[in-house]
Amino acid sequence: MSSTLTQNKVEEFVSHIAENKLAVWNELPSIRKSGLEALEELDFPTTKNEYWKYSRTNRISKHAYKFNPLTDVNIDLDSVRIKGLDTYEVVIVNGFLNKELSNLPSKDCIELKSFEDCSTEELRSYFSQNLDTISNIFSALNTAYFTDGILIHAKGKCDKPVHLIHYSEGTETISQPRNIFIADKHAELSIIKSSLNKNTSNFFYNSVNEFFIGENSHMNYYVIQNYEEGINVVSTNVATQEKNSTFSAFNYTLKGDWIRNNTNVFVKGENCESNLYGAYQPTGKEHIDNHTIMDHLMPNCESNEHYKGTVGDKATGVFNGKVFVRKDAQKINAFQSNNNILLSDDATMNSKPELEIYADDVKCSHGSTSGQLDEEAIFYLQSRGLSKESATALLIGAFLGEVVEKIEIPELKEAVLEMYGME
Amino acid sequence: MISIKNLHASIEGKSILNGINLEVKAGEVHAIMGPNGSGKSTLSSVLAGNEDYEITDGSVDFMGEDLLEFSTEERARMGIFLAFQYPIEIPGVSNMNFLRTAINETRESKGEEPIAAKEFLAMVKEKSALVELDNSLLKRYVNEGFSGGEKKRNEIFQMAMLEPKLAILDETDSGLDIDALKIVSHGVNTLKTKDNATIVITHYQRLLDYIVPDFVHVLYKGKIVKSGTKELALELEEKGYDWIKEEINA
Repeated sequence: MSSTLTQNKVEEFVSHIAENKLAVWNELPSIRKSGLEALEELDFPTTKNEYWKYSRTNRISKHAYKFNPLTDVNIDLDSVRIKGLDTYEVVIVNGFLNKELSNLPSKDCIELKSFEDCSTEELRSYFSQNLDTISNIFSALNTAYFTDGILIHAKGKCDKPVHLIHYSEGTETISQPRNIFIADKHAELSIIKSSLNKNTSNFFYNSVNEFFIGENSHMNYYVIQNYEEGINVVSTNVATQEKNSTFSAFNYTLKGDWIRNNTNVFVKGENCESNLYGAYQPTGKEHIDNHTIMDHLMPNCESNEHYKGTVGDKATGVFNGKVFVRKDAQKINAFQSNNNILLSDDATMNSKPELEIYADDVKCSHGSTSGQLDEEAIFYLQSRGLSKESATALLIGAFLGEVVEKIEIPELKEAVLEMYGME
Repeated sequence: MISIKNLHASIEGKSILNGINLEVKAGEVHAIMGPNGSGKSTLSSVLAGNEDYEITDGSVDFMGEDLLEFSTEERARMGIFLAFQYPIEIPGVSNMNFLRTAINETRESKGEEPIAAKEFLAMVKEKSALVELDNSLLKRYVNEGFSGGEKKRNEIFQMAMLEPKLAILDETDSGLDIDALKIVSHGVNTLKTKDNATIVITHYQRLLDYIVPDFVHVLYKGKIVKSGTKELALELEEKGYDWIKEEINA
């Protein structure tokens, strides 16, 4: 009985989406079909579902959404540009690529193309090759009804980073961008993703990014989430690594009503390095959830994962990190830690580090801490003339700064430190 | 400069200070000595505004203001400086960043402009030389991984940077070898002017060979039970505290 009811809920939700009848949905039918079929089997998760235990999704599922490409739009791009950093800028508006505002180079080292400019063959060879992109309802929804996307193909050492700027605006509007990032053998690429939203209410941003990190390549993916109110975000990143490659994903959440990030890395080759870093600082009633999977399928690899957060007021933070070391993956060094500071009695942090090891010759560690600011340190700083507020800010900055310091682009590091109020 | 009258303070219901009376004038150095648990560190914490302590009676006048009405940071900006017995390590906060923030917030509270980068650096260079504090330590996180002596020198360096009216040195000599003691004392003596004052809290007379006090007070059971000049410190060094305890308890 209850499963029929939830199934109806998904059906109803999807039927509203399907009503939008976008022309782009005629493209890539076989790929979309896999998403549509997955949707038939999937329910909206309840908190009984372990993967969604701490994040309620009914705030998303209860609305009927429309798509809106917003052709005539005024975006303050300067507000997200990184001072002193030259990039290839790509602007995506409500899930649709805005070619006029974007710089899409076609060079020896890098090629940026909208999906419509890609051959079906090209897309098929990458799209949804990571099966994980249809295993939960939101990524299945994206696979079935993605609007537009961009394929970023690094073929060599890229001369400058790509800056993706996602703009959102509207009421009960949905944005479903899909992006594919490819690094060929020996390629090097950095991607920065920024978000901007204006006049949003009950907006649903649901993105899926797929990363293909080729042999001996190096890819860094930096995400800065700094949302105004009125937007719910589900962001799914799935990466596969070939041998001798390095992939690092950095996630800095400054502000956002409700955010769920899924970052999953599958290491399919030997001698790889994978790094996952994140910082979050929810306040008010914000809800910030980071789920990660670090899956070691092959031997002789190393992974480092470090997420840090401060949770204030009545806000909630969630961290769930799973590390798998598969049977054949010997000689793995996998480290994971999650550290939190609770700034108020009403703040909640749910931290769940998980480790599943099936190999016997590995070095793994994981740990989670949740504590409070050091009162003695605050008194010490106050006794030198700092107000309680700046003493607190300085300590928070010092705490979160550790993962901001990991940023490898100096201009970006500077900019993010500044966003966090650090120097 | 500071006038402490009948000061009573307790922590978690336990009375620690039981009526302190002390008058310190500009240009003076006062030493407060006493056996363990007599309330020496409590007095310094209370003067710095540590909210763990409850003031149950008495008053503190600091340059015409009712000191007890002010928060810790306000007291610091008014010119009270406490050199901690156990300086706190603060990972992630650089010494320089911390000091610049402290100076600028103090300036801001007085309606002054922030310190210019050049002026700040010049000041750092001059004042760190005073206590022979290595430049590499300045760039490091506050007290993190510092040796005992480096921590104490860092306290005096901060004091030099903040130029307080009243410095309270809480057992600054503890954990110092003789060379470090000389350096720290030299710093304190150099900073001494006719307009500022120092309260030196110590267990041992040794420090007072280098920072020579105008007055010496003996704190016992939360009260000043004996006051004198530097000769009193020598007497205490020689005879211990028992004779004073006997006098009081008699």
